[in-house]
Amino acid sequence: MGPTRPLHAVFLRHPAPLRSNLVWQCSRSYHSYEHEAPPPFTPTEDAILSAALAHVPTHGFTNTALTQGARDAGYLDVSTNLFPAGAFSIVKYHLVTQRLALARHASSLQSQSDITTKIRKLALHRLHANEPIVHHWQEALALLSTARHLPTSLRELALLSDELLFLAGSTTVTSAWYTNRAALAAIYASAELFMTQDKSKGFTETEKFLKRRLEEGEKIRGGLDMVGKWVGMQAGGLVDGLRSKGVWI
Amino acid sequence: MSTPTLTRTSTRLTHRLLPPRPPYRCLSCSRLLAQQQQHQHQQQPPKQDAQNPTTHFGFQTVPSSSKQSRVASVFTSVASSYDTMNDLMSLGTHRLWKDHFVRSIDPGIRDCAEGNGSGQTILDIAGGTGDIAFRVLEHCTLVKNDHASKIIVSDINPDMLAEGKRRAREGGYGQSGRLSWLEANAEDLRAMPDNSVDLYTVAFGIRNFTSKPRALREAFRVLKPGGVFACLEFSKLNSRLLEAVYKRWSFGAIPLIGQLVAGDRESYQYLVESIERFPGQEEWMGMIEEAGFLVPGVEEGKGWEDLMGGIACVHKGVKPL
Repeated sequence: MGPTRPLHAVFLRHPAPLRSNLVWQCSRSYHSYEHEAPPPFTPTEDAILSAALAHVPTHGFTNTALTQGARDAGYLDVSTNLFPAGAFSIVKYHLVTQRLALARHASSLQSQSDITTKIRKLALHRLHANEPIVHHWQEALALLSTARHLPTSLRELALLSDELLFLAGSTTVTSAWYTNRAALAAIYASAELFMTQDKSKGFTETEKFLKRRLEEGEKIRGGLDMVGKWVGMQAGGLVDGLRSKGVWI
Repeated sequence: MSTPTLTRTSTRLTHRLLPPRPPYRCLSCSRLLAQQQQHQHQQQPPKQDAQNPTTHFGFQTVPSSSKQSRVASVFTSVASSYDTMNDLMSLGTHRLWKDHFVRSIDPGIRDCAEGNGSGQTILDIAGGTGDIAFRVLEHCTLVKNDHASKIIVSDINPDMLAEGKRRAREGGYGQSGRLSWLEANAEDLRAMPDNSVDLYTVAFGIRNFTSKPRALREAFRVLKPGGVFACLEFSKLNSRLLEAVYKRWSFGAIPLIGQLVAGDRESYQYLVESIERFPGQEEWMGMIEEAGFLVPGVEEGKGWEDLMGGIACVHKGVKPL
């Protein structure tokens, strides 16, 4: 992820006039509208993995697809040593590239619609990106849930959920920041699983499923809000009552 | 935190158990070595200058020109007892490491028939005894159903190659026609044309090379674009506690086992010292990158694979197109 050396050490090793350039090369922990983030894959990895992804509809998420991809990109069979995680690298490549592609789609969304609608449209767009490989997506889910890859999978899911909310324009800074992301991640993951079993044309069932889950989420949030208010009122009343009885609170 | 305490305790214990002895000298300092060092002291230690470049041979500094012959004599003397000694020194784990190394590289081309020219060309450097070569052939044949890939076993030392050839005969690999032997210095592989090798492996060999960057440059030259450089070598442990235990074992037990089993303390003394002198994981990865290779897994912050907490380590590099 980040450079192995502490960031400030890298920074200070360079002459002062170059440092401002360096700032933009470092991986940033904040979002910048002005500067493109560095690409997540090197050109070689990009070439092999994108070619491998094209073989997934026939070979699935397997090392065979990876080998075929390497051959297509002009590399050797043995070059797949570049990917220590093997077939999982293709899964990760798909997840990362599709997540980053969401930003381009988000600009085409109508700005009038509310956040929930935008989230639904974005999530649906992301789900449709799985369409060409959906008959092999269960293999990908199996790889994603292995103990070795679980941290990467969860991180990628969290990043996707964050991206969806950010692109939809959510700007909460309360504890809802966490609950929204957790809830959306759960809803998205279940919709993705639902989609692997969906036989309807154009995945309309998945669309309905996603809509229902998001509505339920809204209801639960509304309900929780009300419960919270009620608890607050009762607690306030209790304190007032006790004070009127002379308890020093 | 706990390492200094442990060292203190163990030193105290040793003092109580053993009769007093001259100031602490690690077990490594064998008599002959000490004499050699004294000798060197008397005749001025070799100084680094343009005419007489020096390198290290274990803990000694020697002229670069003499390292090759010194390493040669070490391996000539260990060739016959190589297997027994490896088993004793690593408690048998060297077999697991070598198996894992070959499996992780996954050599061979799936379903490649005999006589088919499209098999891989694999170069096993410093592989005289054939340890890696036989495993690679077995992996190609049994896992990949590849009967075409060929392997060239290269070693600078004819005694190690003779040992390998003997084993090839006994193991039945000799007749397959897929093994060939090459006596060559890995820093000067003039017998191999440019861009001719799919896979370059070196297991527990590269630390003995006089100039590692030169060997890496040769590897880069002989590999085809997309070819893989794979290296299995001793490395640095990640935990201070384990390191303390490991150092005790390597400097205390290994030369002793060498003395008892192979009747040769100095060679094994050199082995453990050369392990100690070999660069750590990060530095070695940097050298591989510097030679022009793409190192897998750098983005994840780790461009190598530690085995048993870093006792051994697998490094790979892919030659870009």
